[in-house]
Parts: sequence; C-alpha cells; structure tokens
Amino acid sequence: MFPGQLLIFSLRPVLQRPLQDKHFLCNNEALKHDLTCNRAHHPVLRFQPNAILSSLHKYNADYDLSAKEGADSLAFISLLEERLKPALIYNFWVEPKNYVDVTRRWYAEHMPFPLNFFLPGRMQRGQMEKLRLLRGDESLEAGEELEKELYRDAAECMNLLSQRLGSHKFFFGDSPSSLDAYVFGHLAPVLKSKLPNGKLQQHLKSLDNLSNFCSNILLLYFPRDSRESSSQKTSSPPHPEGGDFDHVPNKRKKQLMSVLVALGAMLSYALLTGIVSIQHLQQEALEAPPDLQTIGSQDEDGDG
Amino acid sequence: MSLAAEAFVSQMAAAEPWPESATLYQPLKEDQILLSDCASSLAVQAYLRMCGLPVQVVCRANAEYMSPSGKIPFIHVGNQVVSELGPIVQFTKAKGNSLSDGLDDVQRAEMKAYMELVNNMLLTAELYIQWCDDATAAEISRPRYSSPYSWPLSNILAYHKQWEIRRKMNAIGWGGKTLEQVYEDVTQCCQALSQRLGTQPYFFNKQPTELDALVFGHLFTILTTRLTSMELAERIKSYSNLLSFCRRIEQTYFEDKSS
Repeated sequence: MFPGQLLIFSLRPVLQRPLQDKHFLCNNEALKHDLTCNRAHHPVLRFQPNAILSSLHKYNADYDLSAKEGADSLAFISLLEERLKPALIYNFWVEPKNYVDVTRRWYAEHMPFPLNFFLPGRMQRGQMEKLRLLRGDESLEAGEELEKELYRDAAECMNLLSQRLGSHKFFFGDSPSSLDAYVFGHLAPVLKSKLPNGKLQQHLKSLDNLSNFCSNILLLYFPRDSRESSSQKTSSPPHPEGGDFDHVPNKRKKQLMSVLVALGAMLSYALLTGIVSIQHLQQEALEAPPDLQTIGSQDEDGDG
Repeated sequence: MSLAAEAFVSQMAAAEPWPESATLYQPLKEDQILLSDCASSLAVQAYLRMCGLPVQVVCRANAEYMSPSGKIPFIHVGNQVVSELGPIVQFTKAKGNSLSDGLDDVQRAEMKAYMELVNNMLLTAELYIQWCDDATAAEISRPRYSSPYSWPLSNILAYHKQWEIRRKMNAIGWGGKTLEQVYEDVTQCCQALSQRLGTQPYFFNKQPTELDALVFGHLFTILTTRLTSMELAERIKSYSNLLSFCRRIEQTYFEDKSS
C-alpha cells in the first residue's frame, strides 16, 4: 500500500462519476492498466498526483465546489505536501525497521528476479535524497531526532485535517472532492499497513473522525478490496486478488531459477574438478599415435 | 528549527518579557538581498509589528551563515536566536503574544493550510524564478547574491547556491516546469488567496493573523521588486482585493510607525 497507488485507485471512483467521457475513460483505463500490470515497478516514483489532477481538470470532481472551497482544497493539499509528505517518506523508506521488514520486502517480492536485488535499494536512496532536499539538510540521517521532528509535523497536520473534517462525511459536505482523494490516498496506507514502527498509525487511529473517513472511503469506493482485506486479515500485500495472480508465475520462476542455479553450480564444480581432466584425457587419447593403440589391441587380441 | 533548540526556546521564552533590544537580521538591503529572502523578512517584520513587538532591523552580509537554520530572516531576542516565521510565531506565543488565539479550531486549521499554500507555491515560485530562470539568475540573482565577496569565492558561492536550489526543484517536481507554468501556479495561488480573502479586511475578519503577515510579505515584495520581467507582479495586479489588502497593511503597520 503506497500513497501513489491508492490515490489513483481512489481517484477512479471519485472522478468517474460526474462524467462519461471517452477520453477520460481512456485515460483512466490507462492509469488502471499502468498500475495493475506494472505494479512490480515503481508506481510511487512515476506518480505525479497534481499532474493527474490537473490533467483531469475538465472532468472535475470539484465542479460543484464553490470558488472558496476550491481555494481551501488547494490550501489543504499544500499542507499535506509540506507537512505530511516528508513524514510519509520517512515512515516507509527511511525508518530502518519499516523499510527492511515491509517496504523492501514488498517491492522485492513483486519485482522480477535480477531487479529485486538492487532496485529497492536504489529507490530508497532516491527517497532519502529527496527527503534531504525537502528538509534542506545535506547531512540528514535516520534517527530519533529527525523522526520526532517529522512525526510531530505529521501529527499536527493530521490534527488540523481532523479539525477541518469535523463530523462531516467528506471535507466539503456530502460529496467527495479531489481533496478527499488526496487525503485518503496519503492516510489510508498509514492506516492499513502493518509496520513495525507504527507511531504515525497510532496517532491516526487516535483521531476517530479521520480514521473513520478513510475506512468509509475504502468501504464505499473499494468494496472488493476492503471486503477481502477484512475476510483474510493476514494478507500483507495490498491487493489480494492481484496477489494470487502474481504468486503463481513468481513461484514457477523461483523454482526454475533455483533449478538453474543448482545446475550451474554442479556444472561449474564438475568443470573445475572432474570434467577438465576428462577432456584432457580425451585430448591425450586423440593426440596419441594411432599405431600404438592398434598395437595394444593387437596384443590383447594375441593374448586372447 | 531543531527540536531540542525549540523546546529549550519555548521554555526560556516564557520567563522573560520582550526586550527593547530585539534585533532582526537580514542580508544587505541595497545590494544583496533576493526576492524570496526579502519576502520572508518582510513577513516576519509585519508579524512582529502586528503583535506590537518592537524590533530593530540589522543588515549583515553574512546573515545566511549566522542563522541557526541557514534561512533568512532570524531574530535575536535576549539571549535567544530564532529563525523563520513558523518558529518565531511559536516563540512569541510562548511569550504571550499571539494573533491567532481568537480563532476556532477549524479556522486555525485553515490558517495553517493557507500558510503552507503560500510557502508551497509562492515561495517556491520565487525561488524558481530567481535561480532556474537563466536570465534572472545571470542578471540579478548571482551578482546580487555574491556581491559582498571577491572574485573566486563569489562565483563558487553563487553557483553552489544555484545548484542547490535546482536540485531541490527537481526533488519536488518543479524541475521540468517552464516559466509559463510557474506563472500559472502563481496565478492559481493568488486566485485561491483572493477567493479566501473576499471582501474582508483580513483573512479572518477584523483581526490580522500570521497568515496576513505572510501573504503581505510575499505579495508586497513581489509587487515592489523589479525583476527582468514584471510578469510576476502583473499576475498579482489582476486581483484588486489583494492589492488593497497589501495597501491596507502597509498603511496600518508600516507608514504611521515610520513617520
């Protein structure tokens, strides 16, 4: 469950409703395709939520918002970008335990064989670099101080969102807008992922209206996902139905790989020890003068 | 803005009243300061004036290196040094001066969100235009930024700064934007601010808050600064309520005090 992915999934139902335009559906299909087929690559890195939101400008979930509400939603999106995003990067990519136990494992499991060894590491370095630049601090290192600072910002941001949401169903009354998608996309991964270091999650869970808001959207717009995740709570990948698809070829691939590796090891061992000498012998046999052999065989014949 | 420092500051701050000798440091006003720094500095000055806290502005060529967070401006109050608007607001609050006490929870959330909007869009756009637009960078930003230093050092520092900002722009996804797109973003931001302000004198009715100070600092600086092109200022000028908002704050908090 990573922010980018969920946001697109959340955009799908939210944005699809107000229009039936071919171009949009096309676009939307492309997005879906992109995610369901290429989930193994890096959806987060490729993802530019604002670009998508503005490219869908004409087909707007915000069309019934007043101008002031539109302004508010822009402001709250900025708040998320500035306050919550660095903490999310930290939470998923920099926090050593979370990264090793969940993020890296998840990506490694969903990537084809040779890539899974170095791509997650490269992505992590990229995110770390990004965090450094966002904070404007070259010598930034994962640690208690940084974690406290980022999580305090994020907690404040969540508090503000919770206050703004109040007891409403969505941020602007009864119908969803792009701000709802944005907030949901960033918070749902925090709420639903099972991380060893779950401080952000604890804080989010303590804000009842905000966590209800997330589960509510999950229930309304992702009925299949939320039902399956509640029916089989142990599933760690975000989309169990896709998980099954992924697992079969992965298993085959793994089996094939292990067989190949074993074969390779045997062959090289054999080459290093036995086969080389056999080849040598054969060569010797070939190089040996033919008459000696005939003599030998004649002797044997004679003996016999 | 380190956490330990902040906790310490807020502990210490409560004990002492605001001294008369408080100073605000910024780069040299005539030859060195850049648009974005000037805007942030003006925002802090406006905020302190709104709170009625006297502060003396001091220009130093090395203000950037004196600041604890490397950002401009910073204030020196008693024996404490605090930089940037956010922490300064916290600091004055600990001393018992706050502009946002009268707001309810929702309003306070909205105020913080709009402040982030200004930081996220206006400030970033200013930085982009200063350092990523080649004409502005070559004619204004690099010469001004390095004006206090002699030759080899001036080039090194200016190019290093430019490189740093450009990397940051790439990290936040602004690296691929064109100048026109940045102007579009500024327009969008101004439109949001203008909608929010409406016909009210300040963003939250009759009383100014730190949001007003921040918006004033940025808009006023953009409006009164000459860059290679006046496009940025032109974009703001189409919002009449923002213009009168700037004029109002200037008249109320800057003119009568100086005369």
